[in-house]
Amino acid sequence: MSVEVEVNESDLAEMVEQVWESYLDPEGISPLIPTYDENQPSEVHSSVSITGSWSGHVVYASSRAAAQRAAAAFLAMEIDEVSEEDISDTLGELANIVGGNVKAMLPTGAQLSLPQVVLAPESSARYPNAQRISGVYGIWEGEPVSISMWHSSAENKEEGE
Amino acid sequence: MKILIADDSRVMRQIVVRTLRQAGFGDHDLVEAADGKEAFELVNAEKPDVVISDWNMPHMTGIEVLRQLRAAGNNVKFGFVTSESTPEMKTAAEASGAEFFIVKPFTAERFDEVFAPILG
Repeated sequence: MSVEVEVNESDLAEMVEQVWESYLDPEGISPLIPTYDENQPSEVHSSVSITGSWSGHVVYASSRAAAQRAAAAFLAMEIDEVSEEDISDTLGELANIVGGNVKAMLPTGAQLSLPQVVLAPESSARYPNAQRISGVYGIWEGEPVSISMWHSSAENKEEGE
Repeated sequence: MKILIADDSRVMRQIVVRTLRQAGFGDHDLVEAADGKEAFELVNAEKPDVVISDWNMPHMTGIEVLRQLRAAGNNVKFGFVTSESTPEMKTAAEASGAEFFIVKPFTAERFDEVFAPILG
């Protein structure tokens, strides 16, 4: 049976806001400012896949500078102390946190993969048979950040239940 | 007390450590495990008082670690810090004897609420 996605754009925006409040902007001084531009550029990205009652991907993408800043915030370090490994670990965790929260809103029987990190633009990634269904696109301290959901249509073969 | 933090994400282990400090529990002895299998081994080797575990980890998931510990008669206080939280997971955690269930992203206030009764 195919399941309509139950996570809409405002749910996603709320999860993203919680991530900013908890980890990236606990002082509330540098929020993610929405641009609603799904074509904004990225330099690095991470994703988790969800399979089961709903299938698709949650993708976090940003500029390298934003990823570096996120790692500095996550690890309580200065920006110039952040290593490549810190950036990739942070990106993986960001996809994991948002993906986990998305999964929690889906019908029973969804599985979350471990995160994948690619230090290359989101545009370099391909998600076969999946299309972007919603996203939060914004600017964080002048740098582009986006979190999007991709739905895989290949699972929707048992229609008519 | 000795606290074992099990998470395959190094970044998240550091955030858990930092949040414990922020919540006022920084003076406890902290040990880290990078996956479920290591967590299981370290519970036996280090004999922590509390285990704070991620759910989704390679080799052994957090719930598998908890179940194996209980099956072996180990009653260490064990709970989850996870980005995934479904009613089924919470039920499974409780049924297996978990003491707490914290959803990521979390705050120092949430840690204080959960750990004050456990860590004193």
